[in-house]
Amino acid sequence: MTAPIVPAAPVRLAVGDRMPSEHVGPLTRTDFVRYAGAGGDLNPIHHDEPAARAAGMPSVFGMGMLHAGMLGTRLARWVGTGSVRSYTVRFTGQVWPGDRLAFVGRVARIDEGPEHRIATLELEVLRADGTGVLTASATAIVA
Amino acid sequence: MIDRNAVGQDLGSVRFPIERGKLAELARAFHEPDGLWHDPDAATQAGLGDVPVPPTVTVLADHWREHGALEHAIALAADLDRLLHGEASWEYLAPVRLGDELTARSHVTDLTTREGRRGGAMTLVSIETTFHNQRDELVVRRQDTLIETGEAT
Repeated sequence: MTAPIVPAAPVRLAVGDRMPSEHVGPLTRTDFVRYAGAGGDLNPIHHDEPAARAAGMPSVFGMGMLHAGMLGTRLARWVGTGSVRSYTVRFTGQVWPGDRLAFVGRVARIDEGPEHRIATLELEVLRADGTGVLTASATAIVA
Repeated sequence: MIDRNAVGQDLGSVRFPIERGKLAELARAFHEPDGLWHDPDAATQAGLGDVPVPPTVTVLADHWREHGALEHAIALAADLDRLLHGEASWEYLAPVRLGDELTARSHVTDLTTREGRRGGAMTLVSIETTFHNQRDELVVRRQDTLIETGEAT
């Protein structure tokens, strides 16, 4: 298997093309703690079980910016970091310990701009049961 | 509870570095095992001119804020037990590179209220954060929507 590579230049894409789908998980509390340290989100609701329960949650749950970040790097490996022009995420559900996440995306549209071809991408993060936790859109320069 | 007159409120600024150690931590947290996410030599071998930074790399600003990711919510006097992060959006205007020093400046751009489904007024706050690099170039513009749900009735 070849190592995943981040494209150095715009990639050739057409409407309907799909991002190579990937799975991560089952996620553990350690994943949440690792992101707390990496990303600086020390809200106790994401790592402190008694605090999460006191807030009415069944357990701790993942930060939205964790799976938004995971989707972001997969987007970057698909089209290249330097080609991404915008990235918008909407948080639609919580990620719980034990969840296995799927990262999917497709090309919704391509516009011929004055300088570049710009692809509009629709992306999603889903749990194993098919329920969504995040929807996203992005624009990227493509060849 | 969020002040209904918060539009225009300055949420402060913070200066922070894009450093190799934090890029390595982010890559591990995102389950990205490839060294090119933090090692300049690995990036060169992969044919890249620079270490690629994750699209959400500007989150590293939170390490330099007193209250981390909750800084803006606390500055807005939001009720943290009723607070949700609804949306985040990044516009990339120039490259962010390993070794850069970024300055993030945030302010409230919009605030709306509406009746929540479970009763009580729901407040939506839009925050814009600009990130300038050490050469004062605007590199990223980020928008966030925070939602304070209505108090249960």
